[in-house]
Amino acid sequence: MDFYLQQLAIGLSVGMTYALIAIGFTLIFGVLNVVNFAHGEVYTIGAFAGLLVVTTFAPPLLAVLLAVLAVGAFVGVGLERLAFRPFRRFSDEASLKSRAMRESTLMSSLALSIIAREALEIAFGSRFQSVPVAAMINQPIALGPVTITNGDLIILGVAALMLIGLQYVLRHTQVGLSIRAVSNNPLGAKYVGVDVDRTIVWTFAVGSMLGAVAGVLVGFYYGAIFANMGFTPGVKAFVAMVMGGLSSIPGAVVCALLLGVCESLSTAFVSSVWSDMVAYGFLIVTLIFFPRGIFGGARERV
Amino acid sequence: MSDRFRARLIAIGFLALVFVAAPAALTAFGKSYYWQVADLALIFALLAGSMHLVTGVAGLLQLGHAAFYGVGAYAAALLATKAGLSLAFTLPLAGLSAATIAVLVALPTMRLVSIYFAVATLAIGQMLYLIMLNWVEVTKGPNGIMLFSGMKFAGLDLSRPLPTYLVVAATVCVSLFVLHRLSHSYYGNALRALREDDQCADAMGVDTVRLKIEAFGVSGFFAGVAGALWAHTAGFISPPDFSFQTSILILAMVVVGGLGSLPGAVLGAFILILLPEALRPFGDFRNIAVGVVLFASILFVPKGLIGEVSALDFARRQLAGAWRRDGAGAEIGWR
Repeated sequence: MDFYLQQLAIGLSVGMTYALIAIGFTLIFGVLNVVNFAHGEVYTIGAFAGLLVVTTFAPPLLAVLLAVLAVGAFVGVGLERLAFRPFRRFSDEASLKSRAMRESTLMSSLALSIIAREALEIAFGSRFQSVPVAAMINQPIALGPVTITNGDLIILGVAALMLIGLQYVLRHTQVGLSIRAVSNNPLGAKYVGVDVDRTIVWTFAVGSMLGAVAGVLVGFYYGAIFANMGFTPGVKAFVAMVMGGLSSIPGAVVCALLLGVCESLSTAFVSSVWSDMVAYGFLIVTLIFFPRGIFGGARERV
Repeated sequence: MSDRFRARLIAIGFLALVFVAAPAALTAFGKSYYWQVADLALIFALLAGSMHLVTGVAGLLQLGHAAFYGVGAYAAALLATKAGLSLAFTLPLAGLSAATIAVLVALPTMRLVSIYFAVATLAIGQMLYLIMLNWVEVTKGPNGIMLFSGMKFAGLDLSRPLPTYLVVAATVCVSLFVLHRLSHSYYGNALRALREDDQCADAMGVDTVRLKIEAFGVSGFFAGVAGALWAHTAGFISPPDFSFQTSILILAMVVVGGLGSLPGAVLGAFILILLPEALRPFGDFRNIAVGVVLFASILFVPKGLIGEVSALDFARRQLAGAWRRDGAGAEIGWR
């Protein structure tokens, strides 16, 4: 029983990091209707940025997180410039929904993710970069029968704060209003005077900030940062987004938590090397039996 | 010059290049490493050609192609080491096992379109990769499988560089010819119809689901054959050869050469295998070169180096393989 409680706590904190990445996917899919394959690399870059800040200045965790937020926003804006804007030459309805545009941005973000990953590998080497012990967030805390680490609590707390902040931004600010307007109907938003290009840049900045923070939290939790670390969490966050119904943020968060918990509980039954299977299995089952996602509304053919 | 004569000339020229000029040049250089690079380029040309059928012609974005390549390689390696079968048996059996898995994968996922299909293939590719990595009893996990026997065919020892190259080149040429006939014919046109609008194609009497599954199975078959060739030429296979990165590399070849264009896919494969080798003296930039070439080609040559239109024109008029004239010289279409 204790073992299950323990795995539940770990699963929740892992699920929260998936949720942070999945929100970035969801926001960007909402406004552009395309998948950003370079989102996993934003997570990696966030982790490396955190590592650099910690090894050069050794500031408190809060300052690291703020620096990583800034780096994430910067990376997001740059990514939009390089991989998405050049392919958005026309803004009429047909080309916004066209397959050519969708596939070319998919390939360009894939290409940029290869370049970013390989550049990091050339710059830092392919071995694990170890995080200084003082900066790691894995001091154990005994809670009755269960032992969790302060990292679990920090991840849960930071993620919850960021989710609340995101809801505030989306509901109560001008930027959030325009993001919601564009994801509802890009052309309609344009007609009533929303600057669509600016909104897209904002969306990338916000989504990438969340992804970068997830990267640095996970990096400091496990104490290992490497160039290829973004791929698996990226795929799992993508699974959470598809399960949640593609454009539903609460759906993505719930499914990310579900995924994290299922994965960590699965280690009770099978060896942990197979736990990645859970996510891929969920994805296939969702796509075949609930193609609209578990929380998704009506949508075009998938 | 008649169409048939010109087509023969082009075909003979191409075969002479592959079977005479390239081996002669490689023998002149005399380094066994160059032979391996040539084998690899040919194997990837076949992989790109097989992905071209599914992603370029039928328009199903495939992000897990390397897994079928891996299934073929493991099938060939296991058949060769455990059952002691020779190349003549492992090659078709590897192709068949990859095709079987491809069809099994295709049956439930064929309802999905565009990005959903792409993600489903990504997930299935990763599942197969995890199986190769973690099913240690059969696949030996991360340690990989060694093939000590080398290449043998009908009692002949083919493990020296030249015979190995000739076997690989002959298999790849025959496979590419089949893919050429499939993609430049009425069959290929039906696949193109369901790429452009599958609901419309369905309404006009094309059996879209059957065609998609067939295209997927055929593509899986040739990926498996390529895997068997790789297992026999390299003599050692391990899971990282068949990871997501390899799928992306094959996709990049197809995109760089031109989606929907078979000569483009082959050209893309040669560029993306040979360019990093040419860059080797300047440091380890092979993987980053893939990203840069892919990005530049999407940005500057979005139709690819040999676009689909010019590729079709070439295949129909120059190769004449699928273009017929009646006795009076009027064009009667192609079959």
